[in-house]
Amino acid sequence: MSDSTRKSRQQVVDSLHQVAAEMHNRMQRGDPPRMTLPVRSKSNISFDNRLGVFKYGKSKTIRDATKLGSARQLLRTLHITEFIEEMIDSGKSSTLREMYYISEGWGNGKFGSQNESNNLAEDLEIVTKCLREDFKLRPEEDGARIIGNITVEERNRRGEWMTINCRDDVGDSGYGVPYNVEEEKLRLVDEDIDFVMAIETGGMFDRLIENGFDEESRCALIHLKGQPARSTRRIMRRISDEWKKPIVVFTDCDPWSFRIFASIAYGAIKTAHISEYLATKEATYLGITADDILAYDLPSDDLSKQDTNALEAELSDPRFNTGWWQEQIKLMQELGKKAEQQSLAKYGLDFVTDTYLPEKLDGIGLGY
Amino acid sequence: MIRMNEAEEISSKQKQISVSEFFEKNKHFLGFDTLPRAVITAVKESVDNSLDACEEARILPDIRVEIRRTKGDELELITQDNGPGIPRDAIENVFGKFLLGSRFHAIRQTRGQQGIGITGVVMYSQLTTGSKTHVVSKIKSDSSAVYVDLGVDTKKNKAIKSGERRDIWIDDKTGNEISHGLRIRTQMKAKYQRGRKSVYQYLRMTSIVNPHASISLIVYDKEGSVVEEGNWIRTSNKLPRVVEEIKPHPHGIQLGTLQRMLREANDRRMTSFLKHNFSGVSPRAAKEILAMAEVEEGRTPKRIKAEEAKMLVTAFQTVKLLKPPMDCLSPIEDLLIKKGLSKAIDSRFASTVTRNPSVSQGNPFQIEVGLVFGGDLTSDGPIEILRFANRVPLMYQQGGCLLTKALEAVNWKSYGLEQPGGSGIPKGPAAVLIHLASTNVQFTSEAKEAVSYNEEVFDEIRKAMLEVGRGLKNHLKKSSQRKKAKEKFELVNIILPEISKKSSELLGREEPDLAPVITQIMNAVFLEEVLSWDKERRLSMCSITIHNYTARARAYTILAKWPESSETSMEFNPRGGRKEARGLWAWRLDTLDPGTSTVLEFGISGLTKGDWNEADIFFRGNGEIIGATKMDEALLDEQRKAEALEAAVEEVKIKDVTSHINHTKSDGSISDLGDDVPVSSDVTEFVPSANTDWFGMEGDEQ
Repeated sequence: MSDSTRKSRQQVVDSLHQVAAEMHNRMQRGDPPRMTLPVRSKSNISFDNRLGVFKYGKSKTIRDATKLGSARQLLRTLHITEFIEEMIDSGKSSTLREMYYISEGWGNGKFGSQNESNNLAEDLEIVTKCLREDFKLRPEEDGARIIGNITVEERNRRGEWMTINCRDDVGDSGYGVPYNVEEEKLRLVDEDIDFVMAIETGGMFDRLIENGFDEESRCALIHLKGQPARSTRRIMRRISDEWKKPIVVFTDCDPWSFRIFASIAYGAIKTAHISEYLATKEATYLGITADDILAYDLPSDDLSKQDTNALEAELSDPRFNTGWWQEQIKLMQELGKKAEQQSLAKYGLDFVTDTYLPEKLDGIGLGY
Repeated sequence: MIRMNEAEEISSKQKQISVSEFFEKNKHFLGFDTLPRAVITAVKESVDNSLDACEEARILPDIRVEIRRTKGDELELITQDNGPGIPRDAIENVFGKFLLGSRFHAIRQTRGQQGIGITGVVMYSQLTTGSKTHVVSKIKSDSSAVYVDLGVDTKKNKAIKSGERRDIWIDDKTGNEISHGLRIRTQMKAKYQRGRKSVYQYLRMTSIVNPHASISLIVYDKEGSVVEEGNWIRTSNKLPRVVEEIKPHPHGIQLGTLQRMLREANDRRMTSFLKHNFSGVSPRAAKEILAMAEVEEGRTPKRIKAEEAKMLVTAFQTVKLLKPPMDCLSPIEDLLIKKGLSKAIDSRFASTVTRNPSVSQGNPFQIEVGLVFGGDLTSDGPIEILRFANRVPLMYQQGGCLLTKALEAVNWKSYGLEQPGGSGIPKGPAAVLIHLASTNVQFTSEAKEAVSYNEEVFDEIRKAMLEVGRGLKNHLKKSSQRKKAKEKFELVNIILPEISKKSSELLGREEPDLAPVITQIMNAVFLEEVLSWDKERRLSMCSITIHNYTARARAYTILAKWPESSETSMEFNPRGGRKEARGLWAWRLDTLDPGTSTVLEFGISGLTKGDWNEADIFFRGNGEIIGATKMDEALLDEQRKAEALEAAVEEVKIKDVTSHINHTKSDGSISDLGDDVPVSSDVTEFVPSANTDWFGMEGDEQ
């Protein structure tokens, strides 16, 4: 998302108008208004060789006003367009949640749920090839936490650049990643690390900090907070690009954690239109793997019905179509078990930092 | 009904063992086997008697049931009705005699046939608590009420009266003097329980099949606080038809019964015995029977030997006989079932069927089925099955009952209800009522809670289920069509214009003409009907709107089903049209141009608010109409032919029989006589008032 790819105000407004024009033109010809969108499902993402990430394929879906639900979506899209134009004109911005509440005043164009407004904003990003930052829309979710010997410059709300070392200038909760991590807001200044480790759960993140793992193994720790926000994925991508540091991902061993890794490394299905900005193809899945459940004899839980379904879906997900992933998924199906990161505590609080991680890191050539 | 040979069996047993011993031995089928059941049975005996008595006296019943827990496993039961009361001298017989012989001679449909009678309650009370049953009875012609305590002399099978006195009876609820009625207060060992098998459920079910009755229940615990309460108010002032008693039909006669009849006969010749004691036996048939059984016509019935009686029974099954008369049955009738169901269950849709009477083994029977759907009914469990035999709820042994089995045999999936595994009790927000009216309900056991298998009855129930099932299917299809149509209207009338306006504003362009867009989106003809109640004119109104959202002009004939009967008429009908068949009216519409709509309206008199909730609309013409069904001409033809035949039959009957009763309506049409709803001239609504002599028949002549 370098400045050269960002659009000018006029370009954003023009792209939005094209959406409205598609509808208007069709009505003038006597046809129901419509919007054309890429199909947003795993069946329509494919690997882009040039970018090295997964992007939407050629399948299109037409949202037209022949059904009440779709017609409402079109009307809402027009209301969003109008709202964005107003914000661009007045130099304001709003959160997606604020927009959801503002839609209360849009009569028949009001959203049924927050989810719906988020999806429509994404639809607009996709058809206009703009980013939600261009639309002056902010996400509700906050970014990740980082602890480690890296130094960044962030422009604060007074417009001043402040320098922050993510080990020495922060408390135990670490440096909070802002929702906008582009060059105009955040600069990566300096580092003294060997790699970055992204961690799924807060409990494990805090365990590693308490055990001094970041300093001992010379790494930066990032807490993903479940499915990582766009800014979290974007900052990992920038660290990888600008500092050429390896990124390893440490999660639970369950089908949902596999998806967290896929969204980091290959691109998320929902945001496949901007995978090239968000995905870090160099990221490595460290664990916990299905093998580890056996190798370390970890306490495990039975797979639930949803887990089983999710695993089954992953088998046909193009992002997991590699020998290693297929093996892991099938092994997990065979075991019928899943395990949490914190199950390593079976062998004591230090086992993860003293034994497990060093062994795993050694296995991918990051031993220390 | 207790079969006659059983009755004999029971009374002969009575001679050998003491009645209390008999009671103790048979309490499972007398309904007193468990403490929770005892109170249900007691309420049932009392309420059934009240309903029967009110029906005979043509009084709209008001029944109150009060239950009060006194100590431990004991409670006090009070039931009170506004029935005719029992004359002083009859009280001993009604409450004291265990089995009244006369009850078993009459062949007709009554509630009381199914139980041991109120005597059982008196006896149970005495056996379990040692107390007497307190009775207050007031008949209209006496100036005061009789107060008396009753017990049973179990050796002599006779009531023991004590503490008898006369007094004015003042109602403890209203403070008014009661002019006629009966109040029973009794103590018994019993336990009040809530749930599917409870007094509450019994009364709720009773109120459904007796829409003419008002029933209330209040239950107190030991401390005097109310633990359960129910109040079912009458929804109809129409009393059930008076049922005629009929003589037994030879097809249903067993040897023992025949022998008893022969023994008791006063006829001098067998021919007259057969003609006078049975229904369906013509003089010619009597001769044929006797010839086949090789019994001389002039023989005296009393002298017929067992061997000969056996031959007679065989001949009964072989000789062609007339069907028994059907006026011994009292169906509830569709509209009243609807009202009854609406009294107890809040639902969106009700479909009811009263089948024509039919005969099985010489016994007339009739099946009625009602299905309610939606509303407050829960959708995640099996449907509720409400079983009734002669208006009496059947609460136990649901699984083993013919009524349940017939319901389970229907493929409900094809009518829109879930049915896991393709058979069994369906799931969904529905309740099904099944009523078997018969002069001889055959039960699987003496407990009389489950109807036993009978192919003819099973078949009739199935047919009735299929009919209500079709009703449900149509309703569901219509609801989904209506929803679809409503969505489309919202789309083209509200959302599309806003899309047009907003996009034009954003782009600074002119708004496009939406007419061709709308035609493309809808591309169909839509029909919407609205039923309403015109309070001033007292008309059930139906308003049908037809929109042509296609690119071509359309021409249709619209047909509407309406509840045609002798009581209703098409009162308001500015469009004219014509009658196509009974309950089916047709209107030819002018050509409907693209993008236009038209409204067709009519009003029906003779109904009350809420009677008519769903209309079926059909059409004739090319292209589909969303919201209406294409007329099935073959089916219509069949109906017309059937009607023509019925009308012809009725015409002959009228010429034959009724010169003094004018059945024809003022417009001279006789078609009403063929109606499914029997409207006999001897049924008169009777509302008790202070100066009506309810005991005599004056009420019927008003």
